[in-house]
Amino acid sequence: MKLKPTLSRLSRLAAFGALFAHFVHAPAGHAAETPAVIDREVLSRPLPGLSAEEEERFRRGRSLFRQSWVIAPANDVAVDGLGPLYNRLACISCHAKNGRGGAPDKPEERMQSMLVRLSLPGRNAQGGPLPHPAYGDQLNEEGIPGVPGEGRAHLHWHHKQARLADGTTVTLRWPSLSFSELAYGKLGKTLTSLRVSPHVAGLGLLDAVEEKTLLALAAEKKPDGVRGTVNLVYDKATGQPAVGRFGLKSNMPNLRQQIAGAFVGDMGITSPLFAQENCTAAQTACAAAPHGGQPELSATQLDEISFYLANLAPPPRRASDSPQVRQGEAHFAELGCATCHRPQLISGEVAGNPRLSRQSFAPYTDLLLHDMGPQLADGRPDHRANGRQWRTAPLWGLGVLTAINEQRGLLHDGRARTAEEAILWHGGEAETARRRYIKADRTQRAALLAFLQSL
Amino acid sequence: MNIPFKPGRRRFIQGAGLLGLNLAASGMPGALAKSAPQTVTVVTSYADEFVSRIEAAFEKAYPQYRLRVVWRMPNDAAPYLQQPDHGGADVYWSASPRTFARLARDNTWRKLPIDSGALPRQVGKTELGDAAGFYTASEIAGFGFAVSPPALTQRGLPLPADWTDLSDPRLAGLIALPVPARVGFAPPMVEIVLQAYGWQRGWALWSEIAANAKPIERGSTFVTDEIAAGRCAIGLSIDFFVNSAIANGAALSFIYPRHTGLNPAHIAVTRNSPNPEGAAAFVNFLLSLNGQKLLAHPDIRRLPIRPDAYAGLPTRQFNPFAAAAEGGLQFDSDAARPRLATSASLFQQMLIEPLAELTPLWRRLQAAEQAGKPLPEVRRLLGAPPIDEAAANDPALHRAIGLRLEGENPAIPTPQELAWGETAARNRHAARKLLDEAGA
Ligand code: HEC
Ligand code: HEC
Repeated sequence: MKLKPTLSRLSRLAAFGALFAHFVHAPAGHAAETPAVIDREVLSRPLPGLSAEEEERFRRGRSLFRQSWVIAPANDVAVDGLGPLYNRLACISCHAKNGRGGAPDKPEERMQSMLVRLSLPGRNAQGGPLPHPAYGDQLNEEGIPGVPGEGRAHLHWHHKQARLADGTTVTLRWPSLSFSELAYGKLGKTLTSLRVSPHVAGLGLLDAVEEKTLLALAAEKKPDGVRGTVNLVYDKATGQPAVGRFGLKSNMPNLRQQIAGAFVGDMGITSPLFAQENCTAAQTACAAAPHGGQPELSATQLDEISFYLANLAPPPRRASDSPQVRQGEAHFAELGCATCHRPQLISGEVAGNPRLSRQSFAPYTDLLLHDMGPQLADGRPDHRANGRQWRTAPLWGLGVLTAINEQRGLLHDGRARTAEEAILWHGGEAETARRRYIKADRTQRAALLAFLQSL
Repeated sequence: MNIPFKPGRRRFIQGAGLLGLNLAASGMPGALAKSAPQTVTVVTSYADEFVSRIEAAFEKAYPQYRLRVVWRMPNDAAPYLQQPDHGGADVYWSASPRTFARLARDNTWRKLPIDSGALPRQVGKTELGDAAGFYTASEIAGFGFAVSPPALTQRGLPLPADWTDLSDPRLAGLIALPVPARVGFAPPMVEIVLQAYGWQRGWALWSEIAANAKPIERGSTFVTDEIAAGRCAIGLSIDFFVNSAIANGAALSFIYPRHTGLNPAHIAVTRNSPNPEGAAAFVNFLLSLNGQKLLAHPDIRRLPIRPDAYAGLPTRQFNPFAAAAEGGLQFDSDAARPRLATSASLFQQMLIEPLAELTPLWRRLQAAEQAGKPLPEVRRLLGAPPIDEAAANDPALHRAIGLRLEGENPAIPTPQELAWGETAARNRHAARKLLDEAGA
C-alpha cells in the first residue's frame, strides 16, 4: 500500500461536499426517492423504546451536546460560561456527528478535534496525574478575549515502512509534538499525551457493565501473553475509588463524571462535579474573568446530557452476513484480536432503564488496560495506568466513521489512517497478534479488514 | 470573478522557530512560522459544523491568520458588538438581517473592505447587502416545505407546491409549524404569505393552515424530527436544516413553493476592528469561490451568493439566481423586516394561543362547505386579522414590540397585543354562533 498524497484539506472538504450533493434534492412531484446511500446520523440515534418524555429529554441533552458555548456574561444564561481557557466551543467540535476526531496533517494546522494532556511526574492526592503548576493537566489552546490561550501544540509527522510477510509494504506515520506561543512560562520537563476524540455512541452500555465483570475479565487467564488490568480511579460523586472505563486510559469511572470532566477540561464549564474553573495560580486573567454561574452547567443539564449520551444506540452492524465478513470475523478470533477486543460484554442492572439493563452487546473492547509496547507509549501515567498502557479501543463503529468524519485518525494520537496501520502499531501484549497479522495472506487480511469495516 | 484583496505582509511558513520540547524521534520536524498567526475574532451564531469547517479552510488558505470564534445568538451579539471595542471582535458573521441593519444604524460597522461590485447585489427581490456598503450577504437560505413523500402518498395526498395547498383539510394535524414568536427563522415565512396573497387573504390562509398544524416551539431540526418520527408529513422550514438532514440520509424532500423568499445572512467588519487586514481576509475568503463552495457540505447546505458557485452542483440543486430569472423569489425581505416581530405577535395572538379553539371551528366550517353549505361570513371571521395593514405598519407599534422583546419580560405581551387576542376571540365567538345557527 502506498501513502496517499496529502490532499489539501480544502479540496478534501469540497470533494466531501460533492460526494453528498448527489443525494440531496428530491424535486417536487417525485414521491419515490432513492434513500441516501450514506447514513451520517448513524451514531446519533437513540436506543429503541424511549417514551415520549424520554425522547424529549434525549433531545434536550442533544441540544447541549451540540451547543456552542457562550462567553459570560450573556443573556443566554443557560449556556454561558465558556472558558476563560478552553479547547473548542462545543462537544461536537471534537465529536462531530458523535463521531471521531483526527490529527492535523501539518504542524501549523490547529488541533481541531484532539487535545494534549499535561502533567508532571508524580501523583495528585487522588492518585491521578500531577497537574503542571502553570498549565494544569490539559493544554487549553484558546482563551476568551482578554485571557491569553495557553499556547499551541504542533504535530510533526515522521514516516517509516512496515513490511508484511508477502512483501506488501505499508507506510506508517507517527507524531512528535512541539509547542509554541506558551503564554504562562516554560513548560519545563512535562509529560505529554496526545488524545484524539473517540466516538460517543453506545457509551450507556459500557457504563452499565458492572465492576465485578471487569475485575473478572482482568483476572481471566489469557493466551499470547495478554494480561489486561483495570484502572482504579477516583469517583468524585461518592468520594470512593472506582474501576475506570472512560477515556483512553480508562481514567474516568463513569459517564457522568467523564462528561463533567469534558465540560471543565475542554470547554472551561464548571458543573456540580467539577466546581472549580480550570485556572492555575499563574493564570490571573483567567481567574479574574466573569463566570457564567456557579456552577455553569446545572445538575439538570448534566443529567440531560448524560441521559443523551447514555441512550445513544451503538453503531449497527452492516453486511455481517457476507461470507468475507464472516471469514474476517473468524480470523479476528484466530489472530488473537478478540482476546482484548471482546465481542461480547454484558451489562448489569440500570435502575429505570431496561434498554441498558442486562444487555449482551458487542463493543469489541474489554475496557481493560494493556501494555501496547514502546512505540505507542506516551510515558504519562494516569492513576493505575502506566505510560505504556492504553484501554482497548472499542471497535464498534469503526466502519461508519469514513462516512461521518472527514478528519479522523485511529489510535490514541490519530496516527493511523487505516485499520491496517492501527494493527501494525500494536506491540507489547498485542505483539503476537500483530505478528500473526503480518504473516496472514492477502485474502485473510482483506477479510479481516472487511470485518472491521462492518463493525 | 475575482475579488481583489491585498494580504499585506504574508507571513509564510519559513524557518524553524520551534519553542517546543520532546522533538525526539527521527529527522527535523516540519518547520513552523517564525511569528505566530494573528488572531481574527469573529462573532457568530452559526452551528459548530459550519464554523469549524470554515475555520479549517480559512486557516489553510490564510495561514498568517487564526480564527477566534465568539459564539452568541443575535440578541446577545448586538450588545457585545456595541461595546466601544466590540469585545475585541473584528467580524460579525450571522444570519440575522435585523441585527446587521440595527448595528449599521448604530455606527458599529466600517465600510466593507472589499470590492463587492463584482458580486451580484440582488437575487429576486432580495438585496444582498445594504446600500451604504457596511455589510454584504455571505450566504442565503430559502423557505419552504420539508415533506415525507411516502407519508403523503400513503394518505393519497399530493405533494404541496404552494402555500394554498397547505390548507387542505386532509392535512389536519400533519403540518409541523414552527411558532413564529418562538422560532428564530420562522417570522419571514409569515410575511412571505402576506406579501404573496395580500393582508386579508394572507391571514385567512394562515388561519386555515394553522388549523392543520402541530405547533413546534423550537427551531433547527425539531421540525424535521416531527416528520422523521412519523407524527407529521409536512414541515415549514428554512431550507438548510432540511437539506442537511437529507444530505445526512433522511428520507425527506424539500420543496420550494412557488411563492417563496430568501433570508440573506451577512458579514460585516467592526468599526474599531483590532485586525482589519485579517477581517478583510476572512470576508474575502467567505465570498471567494472556494469559500462559497464549502456551503454545499452536507452539514451546511446554505445557498451560495455567487452564481459561479452553483456550477458543478447537481442540476436538481435549487439555484436562486435561476429561480429569480424565471420570475420567482419576489419576496422583499427588506420591506418585510420592520414588521417581522409584529406579524409574529399577531400570529401568536390570533392563531397559536387559541389554536385548540380555532381548529375545531375550521373543521366544522370545512365539513359544512363539503356538504354544500358555504358559510362565507364564518370563513371571513375565522380568517380576519385583528388589525388592518396600515395599523400593522405603524412604526410606533414596531418600536413598542421591539422594546418588549428587548426588555425584562420579553414573553409578556403588551396591552395592545392582548387586545388583538380579544378581537380574534370575538371573531371566533361570532363564527361559532353562526356555525351553531347553521347546525354545522
Ligand atoms: C478538544 C476536543 C474535545 C472536546 C471539545 C470534547 N471532547 Fe470528549 N473527548 C475528547 C478526547 C480526546 C477524549 C479521550 C479523552 C481521554 O483519553 O482522556 C474524549 C472522550 C470523551 C468521552 C469518553 C469516550 C470513551 O470512549 O471513553 C465522552 C463521553 C466525551 N468525550 C464527551 C464529551 C462531552 C460531553 C463534551 C462536551 C462537554 C466533549 N466530550 C468535548 C475530545 C474532546
Ligand atoms: C493486547 C490487547 C490487544 C490485542 C490483542 C489487539 N488489540 Fe487492537 N487495540 C488495543 C488497544 C489497547 C488499542 C488502543 C491503542 C491506542 O490507542 O494507542 C487498540 C486499537 C486498535 C485499533 C484502532 C481503533 C481505534 O479506535 O483507534 C484497531 C483497528 C485494532 N486495535 C484492531 C486490532 C486487531 C485487528 C487485532 C488483532 C490483529 C488487535 N487489535 C489486537 C489492544 C489490543
